[in-house]
Amino acid sequence: MNTFKVMEIKRSVFEDNDKQAELLRKDLKKNKTFLLNLMSSPGSGKTTTVLRTIEALKDEMSIGVMEADIDSDVDADAVSKTGVKVIQLHTGGMCHLDADMTKQGLEGLGCEEIDFAILENVGNLVCPAEFDTGASKNAMILSVPEGDDKPLKYPLMFSIVDVLLVNKIDTMGFFEFDLEAVTERVKKLNPNIKVIPISAKNAQGMQEWFDWIRTQVTEWNDK
Amino acid sequence: MHEIGVMMEVVKTVENFAKQNGVTQIQTLVLQIGELSSVIPRYIEACFPAAADGTILQDTKLEIEILPGNALCCECSKVFNIMENKSKCPYCDCRDWEMLSGKEFNIKEIVAC
Repeated sequence: MNTFKVMEIKRSVFEDNDKQAELLRKDLKKNKTFLLNLMSSPGSGKTTTVLRTIEALKDEMSIGVMEADIDSDVDADAVSKTGVKVIQLHTGGMCHLDADMTKQGLEGLGCEEIDFAILENVGNLVCPAEFDTGASKNAMILSVPEGDDKPLKYPLMFSIVDVLLVNKIDTMGFFEFDLEAVTERVKKLNPNIKVIPISAKNAQGMQEWFDWIRTQVTEWNDK
Repeated sequence: MHEIGVMMEVVKTVENFAKQNGVTQIQTLVLQIGELSSVIPRYIEACFPAAADGTILQDTKLEIEILPGNALCCECSKVFNIMENKSKCPYCDCRDWEMLSGKEFNIKEIVAC
């Protein structure tokens, strides 16, 4: 006769990842590397924003970029032309990055020499919000053509990020996009969020974004 | 796509648990999913065989317990179901409430033999 035994596990599925993320954050702090996890839907201008950011800041700090995609290396190729260190991470069909993959990416970059690491997450507003990558801060881009209802549709993403870039504001005249409504909706979900309207294409608002990074990098690496 | 990654995580966790506790065969795996969590039980069931393939969980039966999304009203202190009442307290119409449950995604237990 078989004897059956019920064994209690009682564990949240995300517990392992959360632990790894905490460890990674501690390592980053020790190594004086500020890691920014950048998330958005596909086509919101992540790569363009990353390129402009590198151009503006690469003389002040050493930058490394991790490009996460399901496949291809088109983004890594574009970023490598700026001369900064870049590594392409393939999630192999997975819709997000977790702390372990991020750690491997940082090892590939050689993070000891990097002050500011950018993780360009997979274009998706759902899954990346659920997995802590271990980043120092989280940022997301919402672009004007996507519409001002996105905070209502993807509340989790908007509630976990530290800064929201509203990109492509130069196209505001062509779309019915209410910036005030977005700000109000986002603040309701996340009172401490910083909202910066930008146009990565024509540089509008980008100084404020660069200043935010400068402050964060200094705070993280000095404390 | 989301569920398969999450289920692979579940399988990894249970495999580790089994190894640490000397379990070699698992008859049943019980998960708890809150009705407001972002994982869909139907898809979890669908992708479990793929995630479990070639592991100790290959022949394991999957059971899912759904946990209700309940809230405590800040006005009248009564408990109500968030989805059924469209995010509004059915007793006093208040929209100010605290979530008590519903976001869980837990590995509850295994039945080992």
